[in-house]
Amino acid sequence: MTFRDHVTVSAGNLRRMKLRTVLTSSGIVIAIAAFVAMLSFGAGSQRNIEGEFEKLGLLSLMQVSSARPGSAGDTAKAPRLDDAALERLSAVHGVELVYPYDAFSVRVEGADTIRTSKAQTLPVAALRTRLHANLLAGRLFESDTAREVLLSQDMAHDLGLGAPDSAVGRRLILSVRVSTIDSGLAHVLTGDGETLFARLRRIKLDSLMYRNYRTRVLRSEANEALRRFVGGYIGSQEVVRDTVAVAGVRESRRGGPMRGEPVAVTVRTARRFSSRGPVGGPTELFAAMSKGTLFSGSGTPIEKEYPNVSISFNPRVPYSQVRDSIQAMGFRVFSFAEQFESIQRFFLYFDVGLGVVGMIALLTASLGIVNTMVMSITERRREIGILKSLGADDIDIRRLFLVESGIIGAIGTTFGILFGWLATRVLSLIALGYLRNQGLPEMELFAMPPWLLLIALGVGIGVSVLAGTYPAGRAARVDPVQALRGE
Amino acid sequence: MADLPFLRIRDLCRFYGRGGHTVRALDGVTLDVQRGEFLALVGASGSGKTTLLSLLAGLDTATSGTVEVDGTLLGSLSRKELARYRAQKAGMVFQSFNLLGHYSAVQNVETALYFTGTPRSERRRRAEEVLAQVGLIDRDSHLPAHLSGGEQQRVAVARAVVKEPEILFADEPTGNLDLENATQIVELLSRLNKGGLTIVMVTHNVVLARRYAHRSVRMHYGRLAEPAEPAERGEGAVGGAER
Repeated sequence: MTFRDHVTVSAGNLRRMKLRTVLTSSGIVIAIAAFVAMLSFGAGSQRNIEGEFEKLGLLSLMQVSSARPGSAGDTAKAPRLDDAALERLSAVHGVELVYPYDAFSVRVEGADTIRTSKAQTLPVAALRTRLHANLLAGRLFESDTAREVLLSQDMAHDLGLGAPDSAVGRRLILSVRVSTIDSGLAHVLTGDGETLFARLRRIKLDSLMYRNYRTRVLRSEANEALRRFVGGYIGSQEVVRDTVAVAGVRESRRGGPMRGEPVAVTVRTARRFSSRGPVGGPTELFAAMSKGTLFSGSGTPIEKEYPNVSISFNPRVPYSQVRDSIQAMGFRVFSFAEQFESIQRFFLYFDVGLGVVGMIALLTASLGIVNTMVMSITERRREIGILKSLGADDIDIRRLFLVESGIIGAIGTTFGILFGWLATRVLSLIALGYLRNQGLPEMELFAMPPWLLLIALGVGIGVSVLAGTYPAGRAARVDPVQALRGE
Repeated sequence: MADLPFLRIRDLCRFYGRGGHTVRALDGVTLDVQRGEFLALVGASGSGKTTLLSLLAGLDTATSGTVEVDGTLLGSLSRKELARYRAQKAGMVFQSFNLLGHYSAVQNVETALYFTGTPRSERRRRAEEVLAQVGLIDRDSHLPAHLSGGEQQRVAVARAVVKEPEILFADEPTGNLDLENATQIVELLSRLNKGGLTIVMVTHNVVLARRYAHRSVRMHYGRLAEPAEPAERGEGAVGGAER
């Protein structure tokens, strides 16, 4: 008996028992539909995340930051993430581009509107990476020395520049407040309308021989000097301006490690701002104070140290090799490729979890198949006896019932996939409507890759055939003599 | 060297355990059937005729004794080999026809060819040929329920012979038929026998047995009751019954 004969005979038997076949298949339909919908959600989520990684080129991107010291004693050991470190990082095998994340506050003056915002410096090479390929209008900087700026869509809107296209080419004035060590020192000497000498004159020299007085005076003067220095450093900030043209408008990207600041300036503009002193608040001042470098190189700006640095590397070089080289230099490395592997692992467990839930439903449905087939054997004992008398062997009979289970499974699985797909379409429409209402970017939550369909088919039919194993074995053991006698 | 009988049965026993008692359905039957012989097994109900036929057809296994068909001991065959024996060498006809109710006449006949390795394309042609031989070609698409008893039995005979077996076992093929149909069926079997088919037929109808069979063997309580009777049709016994 060929497989085709088995299918023909089995299909004929199932046609005779339409209602029973439909009811038994229904269990499989529901289970497979749930199985497909759940795995489709897992696959969709995975595709969205992987797509984002791919779109932004994150797999060949790392972020480097200074190793946070575990204790005060480690401070000296932690390497500084300064310009010299950038050069060392550029020399690491596989590294193609190194640029710091250098954000500072900036005042932006448009035609009628003034806004204070965060800005970052972006070299042209960095803008050419996929991470920054989010231009809505205009172009990237012409060069690192161009007097140009890139705005986020929201920023362009806030400045009243209208649509992205109309913002391109408009002129803006950027200004930052910079602090200098000199203004701090000058304030110590002459600040608050009282000179340092006037204060020194108030000290009772003959009382300095008393320890308590001496200590009190020293503490008081040290506090006063520091207060004056900080007051002078912060309060006497110099304003540096630069007139720039809007080269392009970028998609706004808020939050997360991939956030982009609303204003991106060229290297030239950033240097112009920082040439007079540190741009921004007292953070860098305190950092320099803690490192004991505040007065090193008097008259020069505080040496620039970056909170973190982005590294783009050759995708053909294993990320672990680049990561290890940078870690060996004493820096902390955040590798997106490594995170991607963790995400993939998570989705593997997630899919297995969803699959297990689906399998439980499927196993429950398979009990229906066992029941149907056992009933069928009881009713068809005589038929089994006839087939055996005609020459069917145990294997033929077993296969006949296994094929019947398989056909029930195939019918259930096919419709289950169809209903599962329909369910994902309905849920997807609901989700898209919700995202649209919330003003969130629209995304397809479900995916139906070929592997999912193959797994669903394999699992549906496989479990059904497995469910038919016991009844098929019973059918094969039917004694033809008793069956023909009708016992 | 003398020709061996086609069917050699030696001291064949089949006991059942039932309700704590042993039922001796067959108790030491020894019998030879020659190739081309038409043997009738007669006897009262419960005398062991059907049990003997089941053993000869390879559907059942003996408690002891041997059945040798064309030199092959059935007892030495595996279940798979026994199935192949039923598929290719032995045909069976039953009292209650045992047709598959959801198949048409021609499909029922075709079913026997599922297990012979006959190509799919040839099955329908051969089934129709045999149905034509039994005079039912015009009823080939009818379901068994739409056929008379005699027609159903002819379909059953067609199903048994479509695979061209060497021996046909007929278990009271006329038991559910009126005299006219019974005669037609036995005449059909006789015709097939004349074509060279060895037939062992269980029957209560001694008249038909005497008229068409080469010899009759009576069974009584699981044993052969008397020596074979020569048939009326005058060819004489081809083989002999032995105790």
